[in-house]
Amino acid sequence: GVFAHLELLEARAYEAAVKQEEAEQQEEKLARLKARVQELRLQRDELRAKVDLQQKGQLGKEGAVSNPAQPSARAVLEWKIKSLKAMLQIFYLTGISGKLTKRGVCFCISTAYEGTYLDSFHLDLLTKPEVQIYRHSVPIFIPLQQIAKKYLQTDIRRFLSVLSDHLNAYVGRRYQADQLQEHFSGQIEGTLQRNSLCNLLVFNYNVSSESKTFPFNVRLLYGDPCCSLPTEVVISCT
Amino acid sequence: MDETVAEYIRRTVLKIPRDEIKTMLQKWGFLSEAQLETVNFHQIKDNISQDVVQLCEENSADIKQAAVLDIIYNNIYPNKRIWSVYQMNKTGEETEFFDLTDFKKKFKRRLRSALKNVTINFREYEDNAIWIRIAWGTPYTKPNQYKTSYVVYHSQTPYVFISASVLRSNLPLLCQALVVASNYHDIREMELRSHSLNSLQDIVFKRYSQNFQTYCPRPLSERNVAPETVDLRIIQENRNEKERIQRLNREVFGDGPQPKIEFAQYKLETMFKSDPKMDVLDKKEPFRCLIKFSSPHLLESLKSLAPAGMADAPLSPLLTCIPQKARNYFKIREKKGLLPGSFVSP
Repeated sequence: GVFAHLELLEARAYEAAVKQEEAEQQEEKLARLKARVQELRLQRDELRAKVDLQQKGQLGKEGAVSNPAQPSARAVLEWKIKSLKAMLQIFYLTGISGKLTKRGVCFCISTAYEGTYLDSFHLDLLTKPEVQIYRHSVPIFIPLQQIAKKYLQTDIRRFLSVLSDHLNAYVGRRYQADQLQEHFSGQIEGTLQRNSLCNLLVFNYNVSSESKTFPFNVRLLYGDPCCSLPTEVVISCT
Repeated sequence: MDETVAEYIRRTVLKIPRDEIKTMLQKWGFLSEAQLETVNFHQIKDNISQDVVQLCEENSADIKQAAVLDIIYNNIYPNKRIWSVYQMNKTGEETEFFDLTDFKKKFKRRLRSALKNVTINFREYEDNAIWIRIAWGTPYTKPNQYKTSYVVYHSQTPYVFISASVLRSNLPLLCQALVVASNYHDIREMELRSHSLNSLQDIVFKRYSQNFQTYCPRPLSERNVAPETVDLRIIQENRNEKERIQRLNREVFGDGPQPKIEFAQYKLETMFKSDPKMDVLDKKEPFRCLIKFSSPHLLESLKSLAPAGMADAPLSPLLTCIPQKARNYFKIREKKGLLPGSFVSP
């Protein structure tokens, strides 16, 4: 009916917009590459000129060829620091990074959802006499103690991986709930009922067709604590 | 409208600072904007409250709505009450799907089954906090709206914040209802009390700034210090010491603001250690002593002790462990063992 038609039109408009965006991106890319080609050609010419000069100089004086591009010790150090910082940045972006401390190690678990960087959580671990958590900034409703009891002593990689899954999933669910409240506040009737873990969302919305409005109630249950998608959805017309 | 309800609303409005009355009534939402426009909020509070009661009369307010206004007031000014923290335990490992409607139903049912004469009201806030207001009666009298307890509970956490009322005898009942409603097994009171509800939440939810060592690039703007005017004629003799103190302080307290607590209490049950020749206290009994530190903002003042030169850095861990151990009441006994020193009991 009307709804299906509207959906079709909406889909078509969306597709057209996507195609246009793609075309624009292609053009931008082309322009960038052309500029790069110019740059490289310029560099090539400069280097050619240098080589020519050198060769002429070499023919003129019979001496050892001095390499004018010898980097100074300071430049080498700066380059090393820069590449080290880049390495650390890469580790940070993997989501789990750590730093050795006087008494153990401090881990940082960074979370993200679909390309948006979200919160970071820290764990300060002691390694002697056995591996234990000294302090942390993990929210209280994440079952940290349970996960630690299972894996901390035996398999620390698994411990971090499981904890990271829990945290990423929680943060993802929370982000989705926040986005729902922000962008669809007009369509939701009343308030969105949620909880700390964001694993149960309940809300009401209306669907109007012709002259009647139908109130719907939605109940989203997220059964898997490591997953940011619901495992059970109940939609009822009240 | 009931006389008692009218009086209750009048007294609640009188508690609110005059400049805040309009905003709070708007938050309440019981009186329409048109009605609020008719009140002159610049007259004396007595008259404002009379006008408000008049409007509530027009809308036939009952005790439920009056209770909601009271919750709103206490949520904005929680520091007028003293809050204790309780911790719940459970043995199960299943993930909880906290259902708010379920929680409210179970809580009311449990409480009312033991004591019929109670007024129970709930209000949910953005940070997943549920505020519960309970007005207590007795088996033979109606609930007294001026004898109220407040409970703040964040779903799926084991912590409950309770502002004890005058009637402490109702506490066990309240605790039981909470345990049943939230699907936990038992509850115990923690040794943590303060006027500042937010700070208590910061401490147990670990929202205060802890200084973790990381390679994470922190925004440099945080570290900006105003360039000190360098007068070359002045030589800082103690620069190293000052920097050492700053560093230690930062390690212990972190960079951010400290949670706000007003006191820390240490109950000593240790033996008096003196020169045996002096023969003081020949009876080998623990020397009972109670030490209480009070301050409008205890942790900030502890943080400034060493930089101000009034104490050596690092400070005693008994003082600095307060946020991490989530307690400000301590019992110190003798450590039984090879090592001398005191032992902090859990």
